[in-house]
Amino acid sequence: MHIHALSGDAEFLRILASSSFSGNIHSIFERTINLQCDQNDELYTIANDQLDNGPNTLVLDIKRFHETGLEVGDRVLSQGQTLQIGNKIEIAATQAKEWECTLPPYPSNIEILKVDIAFMKEYIAVHGKCGGMKRNSRPSTPFEAEMSNMLLQRSGLLREALAAGKSEEAVQYALGLVGLGPGLTPSGDDFLVGLFSIVNMPGAPYYLPFHFLEEIATEAKRLTNEISYMMVKKAVCGQVRESVVNLLQALSKGTASELLGALEKVLSIGSSSGTDMALGLVCGLELNREAGGRACLLKS
Amino acid sequence: MSIKVVIKESTYFDSVSLMSLSTKANQIEGVEQAVIAMGTEMNKEVLRNVGLITPELEAAKTSDLMIVVKAATDELCESAYVGIEELFTKKGDTKGKSEIKYATIDSAAKSIPEANLAVISVNGAFAAREARKALENDLHVMLFSDNVSIEDEIALKQFAHEKGLLMMGPDCGTAIIGNVALCFGNAVRKGNIGIVGASGTGSQEVSVRIHDFGGGITQLIGTGGRDLSEQVGGIMMLDGMKALDEDEATKVIVLISKPPAPSVEEKVLAQIKNCKKPVVVYFIGGEETAVVAAGGHFAKTTKEAALKAVVLAGANEDELNKRPLNWPLIEEVRAKLTPEQKYIRGLFCGGTLCDEAMYLAMDTYEDVYSNIQKKPEYKLKNLHESIAHTFLDMGDDDFTNGKPHPMIDPSTRIARFLQEAKDPSVGVIVMDFILGFGSHEDPVGVMLPAIIEAKQLAEKEGRHLEILGYVMGTDLDSPKFEDQVQKLMDAGVTIASSSTNAGLLAREFVAKGV
Amino acid sequence: MSKINELFTSKIHAINVGIEFFKDDIKKQNADAIHLEWKPPGGGKPEIIKALDSLENATLEQKIEEANKLAVQRIINSQPVLIGYDQAINVVPGMTKTTILHSGPPITWDRMCGAMRGAVTGAIVFEGLAKDIEEAEKVAASGEITFSPCHEHDCVGSMAGVTSASMFMHVVKNKTYGNIAFTNLSEQMAKILRMGANDESVITRLNWMRDVLGPMLRDAMKIAGEIDLRLMLAQALHMGDECHNRNNAGTSLLIQALTPYILETDFTKEQKREVFDFVASSDYFSGPTWMAMSKCALDAAHGIEYSTVVTTMARNGVDFGIRVSGMPGNTWFVGPAQKVVGPMFAGYKPEDSGLDIGDSAITETYGIGGFAMAAAPAIVALVGGTVDEAIGYSTKMKEITLAENPNVTIPLLNFQGVPTGIDIRQVVQTGILPIINTAIAHKDAGIGMIGAGITHPPMEAFEKALLALSEKIS
Repeated sequence: MHIHALSGDAEFLRILASSSFSGNIHSIFERTINLQCDQNDELYTIANDQLDNGPNTLVLDIKRFHETGLEVGDRVLSQGQTLQIGNKIEIAATQAKEWECTLPPYPSNIEILKVDIAFMKEYIAVHGKCGGMKRNSRPSTPFEAEMSNMLLQRSGLLREALAAGKSEEAVQYALGLVGLGPGLTPSGDDFLVGLFSIVNMPGAPYYLPFHFLEEIATEAKRLTNEISYMMVKKAVCGQVRESVVNLLQALSKGTASELLGALEKVLSIGSSSGTDMALGLVCGLELNREAGGRACLLKS
Repeated sequence: MSIKVVIKESTYFDSVSLMSLSTKANQIEGVEQAVIAMGTEMNKEVLRNVGLITPELEAAKTSDLMIVVKAATDELCESAYVGIEELFTKKGDTKGKSEIKYATIDSAAKSIPEANLAVISVNGAFAAREARKALENDLHVMLFSDNVSIEDEIALKQFAHEKGLLMMGPDCGTAIIGNVALCFGNAVRKGNIGIVGASGTGSQEVSVRIHDFGGGITQLIGTGGRDLSEQVGGIMMLDGMKALDEDEATKVIVLISKPPAPSVEEKVLAQIKNCKKPVVVYFIGGEETAVVAAGGHFAKTTKEAALKAVVLAGANEDELNKRPLNWPLIEEVRAKLTPEQKYIRGLFCGGTLCDEAMYLAMDTYEDVYSNIQKKPEYKLKNLHESIAHTFLDMGDDDFTNGKPHPMIDPSTRIARFLQEAKDPSVGVIVMDFILGFGSHEDPVGVMLPAIIEAKQLAEKEGRHLEILGYVMGTDLDSPKFEDQVQKLMDAGVTIASSSTNAGLLAREFVAKGV
Repeated sequence: MSKINELFTSKIHAINVGIEFFKDDIKKQNADAIHLEWKPPGGGKPEIIKALDSLENATLEQKIEEANKLAVQRIINSQPVLIGYDQAINVVPGMTKTTILHSGPPITWDRMCGAMRGAVTGAIVFEGLAKDIEEAEKVAASGEITFSPCHEHDCVGSMAGVTSASMFMHVVKNKTYGNIAFTNLSEQMAKILRMGANDESVITRLNWMRDVLGPMLRDAMKIAGEIDLRLMLAQALHMGDECHNRNNAGTSLLIQALTPYILETDFTKEQKREVFDFVASSDYFSGPTWMAMSKCALDAAHGIEYSTVVTTMARNGVDFGIRVSGMPGNTWFVGPAQKVVGPMFAGYKPEDSGLDIGDSAITETYGIGGFAMAAAPAIVALVGGTVDEAIGYSTKMKEITLAENPNVTIPLLNFQGVPTGIDIRQVVQTGILPIINTAIAHKDAGIGMIGAGITHPPMEAFEKALLALSEKIS
């Protein structure tokens, strides 16, 4: 079977072009396949046409993967911009549109941002999916109730510690979120991804010390599964998927309906993942708003 | 009790499937609790906290899928697990066969001829439009959304009136129709008392008290807080009264509202004369004479409203437990408080509960402050600082500001509670805990750590901190009423048996020199 | 008993919009509730909501409802019949020797996409207005050629829709309302004029169609008199066509009906054999026939004051245009033509695709094509979906249409009629866009068809139409 890549992460495309990619299929889902790379042990993703671009991701012109006959462990090799998987499929990346995760600058108009944050919170409160960071008002089991409690408590503590500049404590609370929650990418991980994307925006008033991020990036590996870890690791250095970038862009300079559209896209990620990320974004924005306020006081 | 654990090594499922599997697994017959989650450290910690951990689970790796089933017997566990396994294999073909989805009220109403009610809780900017669509389709409307303009409210209510439909809201949080509680509401007995309420928690409280007195409810019609304003003119309350008057099952009608606009009060009272049935009126802070002159039964408190209603509905007053004030307890508390501890601080989720306690305090004290005070000189200027006797409606926009209601997100109230607890001039802190549909699953539980912390702090400083709690709920509500009350008592909280008693007790605790 | 008192004694069946757990709580109390997949109307844009609101004024709404009822009635009651074939210059209103009709809303030569330019230049050569493609480009740019949309001449044209004076046209008459619609003949194959190809093989085929196929069909129909197309369409749907991307059954039915009369014509056996081979070479032969049939029915519903029913959806490869019944004449509302997503022929990549093009979306406007996907499970693979998805498409389209056409039904959906009468108000309100099955042409001139798939109109066109209509009538 011959499939075209529609678009892809620029770095991934570069690796493919240099014919230096080899690895195995790590896991297969209906909409994505993860590849474990021999060279750097990172996971790379090939996704169907319904998904957005993301770090280490190639988006293909295909609807679903279950019918491809691929199996976990199949060998993956690149040869001149083509990715061969087993002898089953061949992915041509020659025409793939390059995508690079570039976070927009932090919104400059504080008044609009305030309104936008309030809008996001309200929209998430109504339309976000419960079960992760957004608590289900009636959890179906004690397990779910306890997990929600832990998620809320730890994210709250993390926020407080960050706001107070206690980064040692904050690391502990953040690590307490890694791997916590339902879903393939646990809710805690998704929340952190949201938070980190804000912190990584150029010109964001709130800034996280390097050792904080570094520690998360190293410690998270043992705390969550490989797929989710890749996501967190990339987010630590500001690499997040396209729909999140689009939402940040809408916040920076979009209209209200663009913001709504972009937020809906994010909320539709995974099951509760999108909601968890969005709440992480809101947390980051609020931290920044407070920090931004302080920065203004200092200047005057 | 039996627990079955299965670890699937290096198994990944996408989050959508995992979540829906988990939900479905918990619906399998016989399952007490089922968990399907990745084997991360943190998820294992959750299992430890809820007592489901086993050595096998402890050994699970982050890339493993953990399946835990808890059921009454081994057999049930096994059969439930078989059911879960089926869910895994069935995955592919369950897709796309879910119930039919509709995008608009129009299409849903046309496709479901038996539909008779729309419950609308979308953003206020879009809510009026959806409500109108529902009315056009001959649906009664429960409009939970707020931030709907008064012009829209009037237009909707007039339209509903012409069509003979209910237009409950905007900003209507509670209703019980045909024994089904909508949005926020308590599980109360079916009976012969009908309620029309313009204040949500007030109506809930009266329904709960009626249940407690052994009575029951036919219908509870919410009108939304602005119904009795000059502009709206009480359209919904008047229609509601009329419908209850014509309802065979209803023997007594109870009206509940914050103080109405005078012209509207007149209209409502005038209609009492036309009612075939006795009407009990509780307008917070209202005047007795006008109500009595109109042939109504005046109630000064929610409790009195409920009591009068059940008696009018046929209960023998002498046989009721009226739950009188416990005067020895009041004396006891007074003795514990120092002369400086003279103020009440009320931190409420329920707006009417706050109002009622505040009006009761105003009967005795002058310096009663609040964010919802009608008298401008006693309206709190700085919301973050309490003065003298302060009653806060923490569900008001002043405090929510984009956050969920304190019934759902208690963090703001917790912070404020700790602040009040440190104030040496505070004699009593009074709080409500609301149970029932739509509310938090453990409102007492989330407050407990703060209560314990505050008690300890006061003890260290050598003063008594009186905390008064009122749990609004019935024995049919979830979470369990007795459990919530017990938790508070264990933490040293004094329990009030009703909203009215909470207000009275708070007032009396800090009364000096009597 | 009043409605309120009725409610007191009925079982609660609630429709929940907004916070989802309210539905769960209601269900826990043994009452029924469904939760809407609701989106803010008009994407939450205030000016659009205002327009929607203004159309909901009671007296106005009644007028709209009545107008729409009439429009839908006219679509459903229309009985288009094939009455003949003839050259465009003889039958198409406004046709001249130097007129070239094209698909979609109006467009000038300099803005045309590759496929349309290829088709235009090919047609200029075919008509003898230039000796080769190079010269044809100069002619096209010179201003000597009158470009006009097919739709503005009672015609429809598939893909580039390029129609010139000597091409043979279907002549379809609306037996109920009397109006006539035209469309040219299928060229079969992939490398064809309408897809933008224009080399010698293409021109040779066009010549043969003008000299042999067209006249033979014309003569056959003279003997046949008329063929009921609506009845044939209904049969084709029952045989697994959706009559836009799948025409296997429709083509068999059509040629079956024509064959006895073709045999009676005065052409040679070899020529007849050529014609049958040509028809057999592609299932698409009847594709244009259904377009003309749809056009014929929809034109009868155009120009009804106050109606919000869509009577045309058409694309020229650059713009997507719609017309609405309540805005009479040639009032187009346009937005950008979209990408078509679907499988491609070997050797082509998505980047090679031109944007959505052709008047064939007239079939969806009528209620077949993408709207009748549930009738054609065989082609769900073509558009990359599952049978469930196909059924889903048809049921979803009911959210934006006003009626079901009882004359054209879908067996798999319990013989429900196809969704008919797209209402711009419903499209804007629900955010659900019509689905269109279509072919993909290469983005450059001279190549042809490279794949097939599904696409949607731009929401912008519907929003513009709504704003204009509300301004006009409120």
